[in-house]
Amino acid sequence: MKRWLLGALLAALAASAVAQAPLPWSDDEVKAIARHGPWPPPAPSDPSNRVAGMPNAIVLGEHLFNEPRLSADGAMSCATCHVAGRDWGDGRAKAMGRRELDRRTPSLWNVGYAHWFGWDGAGDSLWSQSIRPILDPREMAGDAARVAGLLREGKALACGYERAFGHRPNGDDEKLLVDAAKALAAFQATLVSPRTPFDAFRDALVAGDREAAARYPLAAQRGLKIFIEANCAACHFGPRFTNGEFGDVGIPFFTRPGEVDSGRLDGLGKLANSTFNLLGKHNDDASGASALRTRHVQRLHSNFGEFRVPSLRQLGSGPFMHNGHFATLEDVVKHYSEVNPDRLHSDALPLVRPLALTSEQSADLIAFLRTLSAEAPPRPTPPPLCP
Amino acid sequence: MRLLAALIGLLIAVPAWADCPLDLGRGTGIVVFSSHYLIAFRPDPLRIEVGEPFSLLFNVCTKNDKPAELVAVDAQMPEHKHGMNYRPTIVSLGEGRYRVDGMVFHMPGRWELAIDVRAGEESERLSHEFVVK
Ligand code: HEC
Ligand code: HEC
Ligand SMILES: [Cu+2]
Repeated sequence: MKRWLLGALLAALAASAVAQAPLPWSDDEVKAIARHGPWPPPAPSDPSNRVAGMPNAIVLGEHLFNEPRLSADGAMSCATCHVAGRDWGDGRAKAMGRRELDRRTPSLWNVGYAHWFGWDGAGDSLWSQSIRPILDPREMAGDAARVAGLLREGKALACGYERAFGHRPNGDDEKLLVDAAKALAAFQATLVSPRTPFDAFRDALVAGDREAAARYPLAAQRGLKIFIEANCAACHFGPRFTNGEFGDVGIPFFTRPGEVDSGRLDGLGKLANSTFNLLGKHNDDASGASALRTRHVQRLHSNFGEFRVPSLRQLGSGPFMHNGHFATLEDVVKHYSEVNPDRLHSDALPLVRPLALTSEQSADLIAFLRTLSAEAPPRPTPPPLCP
Repeated sequence: MRLLAALIGLLIAVPAWADCPLDLGRGTGIVVFSSHYLIAFRPDPLRIEVGEPFSLLFNVCTKNDKPAELVAVDAQMPEHKHGMNYRPTIVSLGEGRYRVDGMVFHMPGRWELAIDVRAGEESERLSHEFVVK
């Protein structure tokens, strides 16, 4: 009888311990976890864009983002592919423009904090990246004259331009195209993903609040341990879970038989040849400081087959990777668990190696990754351009 | 501590080095030396953040007080077998002082800085280790 009581008591104690205590975390682990916050960070700034952060430019940018008249056939806008309700992506493995593209539409969450844009980093500013789809014949197939015409002659847009830039739309077509892109950038920089269960845990851990920390599911805590142990943060670093640079994790990069997407290598060539890069005349930052990375970046052999390290916040439901190679998060984790080191194209970076996770460990890692997302409030309709 | 004692011993033994200004402002500097060179440097800003560009301020001195040249600065992660994604540039500020711009340590972990210096015919590589978190 007594034995039975003791057993029950112990079982009850054990159960409550599971429910109420966070896993033990070492000082080093707490420090590593702290580096993934706080969230949200201060609003992004962009000295290369003179209207960044300005409310009237943000409103104009949102209208332009939804404006199909920017495209040649008047049928495609940025929002066709970057859908608000789909985490600013389109849920497709490969984007569909006037024909299917080779890459997946990336989410635009937190894009204002990036310093390289596109999967290959061919863009060095949010505004220059926003010009690409307007001009690309496979996407909106527009041109500078069409955009400039809309700003000059579209009644509401001309008025919105004047409010955003402080003068009537003047200057040549190319300048107006760049201004439109700068308003688009001002808008996109406001897309900051919501706080997540991970952020609550991270803050509780840093504050030493065990009770609050214990509210974070144990599976996610175990998954976070795996994330730290496997050194995922070598690349998925910082509050956005990306160091903003490029890597090769062994995703096949054949686009069609005999053709490859060389990723960063090609991106750096495009960057250097672009009239819209930060070394050009459209950069509003007279100090030149914003062009530092563009000036110093070097093209390396190892850039072949490298793609930008994606943020792990607000991952959405997939597909994943630059070409939508994996349909689900389960597939992604299976890849990291079983990756064949011979598949890595770079000089055997020991950073990615088969983790050989058990099915419980895989489930834990997925549980952790899912806590980096939260439901975003629905997007309200943008305020009118010129009320 | 032992390093400091060695350094002080060295400074006393080599008169020319006593004139080598080790402080690069803000009261901080990292010092590396060989039998020919004494190099003081510090990052600017002082704290190196993962993925953020920084500069290095250098002061290069030689044993015989001959002018020395900072030829190249580079860094790599020995464990990961890769270097930086950016190519730093060196600006001479005169009298053995240099400014190196465009450094970026894009991953957390151990980075090994390689400093190539030359005085006349003699060139040498000195190194220093950073751990960024
Ligand atoms: C046909 C679908 C499509 C349309 C239309 C489209 N995009 Fe994209 N967007 C993509 C794809 C695909 C990429 C990745 C491009 C690459 O890596 O080369 C991308 C990348 C981007 C990026 C870089 C994001 C990052 O994380 O680096 C930004 C910013 C962006 N688009 C903004 C826009 C804007 C602004 C418009 C409208 C002017 C627009 N897009 C229209 C498909 C589209
Ligand atoms: C060497 C740097 C590096 C390391 C280490 C690394 N990743 Fe990645 N990760 C990347 C890159 C680069 C991509 C995109 C690859 C592509 O599209 O071809 C990626 C893609 C992903 C994606 C898909 C995101 C999306 O939006 O498509 C997930 C999820 C992910 N990684 C999780 C992890 C986890 C978990 C670990 C640790 C087990 C890890 N990564 C380790 C560089 C890295
Ligand atoms: Cu590394």
